[in-house]
Amino acid sequence: MSFGRFALKRSLQGVGVVWGVITVVFALRFVTPGSAINAVAPLDASQETRAAIAAELGLDQPLYVQYGQYVFNLLQGDMGRSYIKGQEVTTLVFERLPATVELAVAASVVAIALAIPLGVVSATNRNEPVDYGATLLSLGGISTPNFWLGIMLILIFAVEFDVFNTSGRGVDVGDVALSVVNAEPFVGTLLAWLAYITLPAIALGTYFMALITRLTRSGMLDELSKGYVQAARAKGLPRTLIRYKHALRNTLIPVITVLGLQLGTLIGGAVITEAVFSWPGLGTLVIESINQRDWPALQGSLIVIGTSFVLVNILVDVVYAYLDPEVVND
Amino acid sequence: MPTDNDDHIDRRTVLKYAGTAGAVGLAGCSGNGGDGGDGEDGMDGEDGEDGMDGEDGEDGGDAFELGVTMGQMDSGLDPQDHAETNTEIIVGQAYEGLLDRDKEGGIIAGLADDWERTDDGSVRFTLRDGVTFHNGDDLTAEDVRFSIRRIVFEDVGIASPQSNDLGVVDEVTAGDGEVTVSFEGYNPIAFQLFATNGEIVQQSWVEENGGDYINRNANGTGPFRVTEYSSGTEILYEPNEDYWDGAPAVDELRMSASSESSTRVNQLLAEETDIVTNVPPNEVSRVNNSDVATINSVPSARIIFLQMRYDVEPFSSQQFRQALNHAVDVGSIIENVLNGFGNITAQPTLEGHVGYNPDIDPYPYDPDEAERLVEESGHAGVEITLETPIGRYLRDVDIAQAAANQIDSLSNVSCEVEQREFSSLVQDVTAPDIEDRPHFNLLGWGNGEFDGSQTLTPLLSSSGALTVLENEELDGLLTDAEATEDPDERVEILQEANQLAHDLAPWVFMHQQFSVYGVSSDISWEPRTDEFIDPDTATQQ
Repeated sequence: MSFGRFALKRSLQGVGVVWGVITVVFALRFVTPGSAINAVAPLDASQETRAAIAAELGLDQPLYVQYGQYVFNLLQGDMGRSYIKGQEVTTLVFERLPATVELAVAASVVAIALAIPLGVVSATNRNEPVDYGATLLSLGGISTPNFWLGIMLILIFAVEFDVFNTSGRGVDVGDVALSVVNAEPFVGTLLAWLAYITLPAIALGTYFMALITRLTRSGMLDELSKGYVQAARAKGLPRTLIRYKHALRNTLIPVITVLGLQLGTLIGGAVITEAVFSWPGLGTLVIESINQRDWPALQGSLIVIGTSFVLVNILVDVVYAYLDPEVVND
Repeated sequence: MPTDNDDHIDRRTVLKYAGTAGAVGLAGCSGNGGDGGDGEDGMDGEDGEDGMDGEDGEDGGDAFELGVTMGQMDSGLDPQDHAETNTEIIVGQAYEGLLDRDKEGGIIAGLADDWERTDDGSVRFTLRDGVTFHNGDDLTAEDVRFSIRRIVFEDVGIASPQSNDLGVVDEVTAGDGEVTVSFEGYNPIAFQLFATNGEIVQQSWVEENGGDYINRNANGTGPFRVTEYSSGTEILYEPNEDYWDGAPAVDELRMSASSESSTRVNQLLAEETDIVTNVPPNEVSRVNNSDVATINSVPSARIIFLQMRYDVEPFSSQQFRQALNHAVDVGSIIENVLNGFGNITAQPTLEGHVGYNPDIDPYPYDPDEAERLVEESGHAGVEITLETPIGRYLRDVDIAQAAANQIDSLSNVSCEVEQREFSSLVQDVTAPDIEDRPHFNLLGWGNGEFDGSQTLTPLLSSSGALTVLENEELDGLLTDAEATEDPDERVEILQEANQLAHDLAPWVFMHQQFSVYGVSSDISWEPRTDEFIDPDTATQQ
C-alpha cells in the first residue's frame, strides 16, 4: 500500500468514527431521562405551553425526521440552534474552542517543559536521591485529582499570595499577539495572560507531566542499556553527547506519539479543570448542555471534540507512517 | 467601544504584573533549577501584596467598576424567551417592565408611571414620558402592546415560556401613551404579575433582527446598556446615561459566572469581584473572617418542602402526612445544615405575601406524636423513599438526608433517600398525569409575585401543573380567590386556604430559603427578597 492510500484509508476511517460519534450522541437524547423543555419552561408551565415549546424546538417530530434533518443540516455546516440559549451552536462552539485549545496547549507545554528534563535527570541518576524525588513527584502527579490540585493552587497562589488570578480568562493568547501588532505593552499583556493561564495549565498538565516523566525515564533507561550506547561509550564519545543526541532522540519517538494522543485527551478532558477555574472553554459548555438537556449544543461540542481527537490521531498515524514505512505495509 | 485589551486588562490585573514579574524575577535570581524556584513562593506572595498596596493608591479615582459573579450565566438575552432567575438578573439590567418592585417586594412604578383598573376589569397603564431605548428610539405604546402580545400569543413570534406569567390575556390595545390589557375573566393579581413579569422590547428592533441576534444583543430601556457579550462567560455593561431615573453610579458592570461555589468565594476574597451569589453555609465563616468581604443575606421568596402524593399509600392518609410533619425537626436542620440561613414554614404562603395567615404555627417536632399518628393511620412499619434533586437548592441533599434520618428514627417508619439529577426528577414532577409523579420528593418553589395564590394554585389545586393534592374545599377557596374583586375578602379567603393546606399537610413544611451573598467591603449594597440583583443601587464605600 502506498503512503497516499494509507493516509486516505485512515482519513476515511476517521470520517466513519465522526459519523459514529454523531449518531451515538444523537441517540443518547432518547435514552437519557429529562427534557430540554424543563430547562426552557417554568415548572408550572401548562401542558399547552410545553407543547408549543416542543413544537418550536422540533421535538414533536418523529425520531428519524429529527435525525435526518440534523445530519442534513450538519453536512451544510449548520449545527442547529441551542434549545436553551437560542443561539447558533456553531457560534457557541467555536467561540469556546480557542479557550480549550489554548489551555490544552499550555498544559502540554507545562508538562513537557518539566517532564522531559525530569525524566532524563531521573534516568541518568538512577537510584540516587534526585531519581527518588522525580519518581515521587510523578507518582504524586498521577495520583492527585486535578480538581483538588486546582482548588489548592487557587487558595495558595491566588487567594493567599495574590500572584495569579483565581479564575476566568481575562486575557487570551490572541491579546498577547495583538499587543505586538497594536504596539501595546507586550510584556504587560504577556504577564497578564500568564496570571490567568498558569494555574489551570498546571492543574491540567500535572497528570500529563507525571505520565511523560515516567515514560521518558523508562525510555531513557532502556536506550542507555542498548548496545549502540555501549559502543558509543567504548569509542570515547562524551557522555552528554551520548545521552542527549543519541539516547534522548530515540526515547522521544514514543513520547511524541503519546503527546499527540494526549493533546486530544486534554481537549476533551479539561471539563473539571474548566469548571474549577471558570475557564470559558468547551468543557463548561458540555456541562451546561448536559445539565439543561441542550442537545444541539452538546452534540456540537462533542462532535468538535471527537473530530479534534480523530484528526490528531490521524495526524499521528500519518506521521508515524511517514517516519516508519513498515507501518503502511502492516 | 473600548478595545478588548481595555476591557480585559483591568487595574487589578495590571497590578498583578508586578507580582508575577516579581515571581519571574525571583525565580531567575534563585539560580539553579526550577525546583529551587518553588521555594520562593512566599516571596512571590510578598510581591503580590506590594501590588495590592499600589491598588489601594489608585482607588482615589472616580471609576466605579462592579463585578457580580453568579452560579450560572444566562440562557440567551431575549427577555421574553427564558424562565429562570439567572437570566432574569442578566437581562433585567437592560430591560424593564411596566411596573417594578422595591427591595421588599412592594409594587412601584416602572415604565408606567400610573396604573389603574377599569370598570370592566381590564388594567390600564399610562406610560412614562421621555423613555428611550438604548438605540435612542422613543418607547411607544405600540412597543408595549407588541411586547405583551409576544409573551402571551404564540403566533406573534415565539412560544414564550412566560406565556402564563401575565394571566390569561384576552387582548392588548394601545392608545395615546396608554396601554390597556383585558383578561379572560377577572384577574385579581394583574398588577402583581406585571410588577414581576413582562419586560418591554422595541417592536421594530425585534422584527428586524433574528433570534440569534436578539439572544446576543440587548436593546432595552433599563439602567445599563450591554457593551460586550460572551455567551456563557461574561457580559459587560455601561450605564445608560439617558435612563429616566438617572444613570447609575456604576461606571462599568461585569456579570460572570462560576458554577463552583468555592471558586466564587475565592474570586471575592481575591478582590476580583464584588458580589457573589449562593455562598454555601460552610463558606460563610471564611468570608466573614476576611478583611475584604462580608456575608449579606435576606429571606428569599423561595420555600422548600417535601411533597406527598395524596393518592398513594401511605401518603393518602392525612394522619400519616401530619405524622411526618411532626417527625422532622426543621429548626434543627436550619441550624445545623443551613447555619441558620432559613425560616421555618407552616403554610404554603410566606410572611409578607398576600394571603399569609399569621395564626398558623408550625407543626411542633414531636416524634412520639408522630409515632402515634402513624399507628392511627394504619401504616406502621411502612418503608418510604424520599427523592431529592442534587445541587438544585441550597444543600438540598443534606436537607433531604437529615429529614429522612429523622423520619427513619421513628420506630414504625423506615425512610431512605434517593438522589436524582434535577432534570430527570423534574420530568416526573411535571408529568401531565399525577399518577406518573413521585410519591415523596423534595422540591423548591419561588413566588416572585408575592401572592399566595401563585403557590397554592399550581402546587395544591386539583388542576395545578405540579399538584400532589385533590381537595374540593381547597379548590373552591382558590376559585373564589380568583374571582373576588374585593382585595380584603380575597386575603381572608387565601388565609383560609393556607389554614386548610396546613391541616391537610400535603407537604412536610420545611423552610424559607435565604439568599446568601458575599459582598465586597468596598461597596454598599442591600440584597432583595425576590433574588434579583440590582447593581444600580450599589455605591462605593
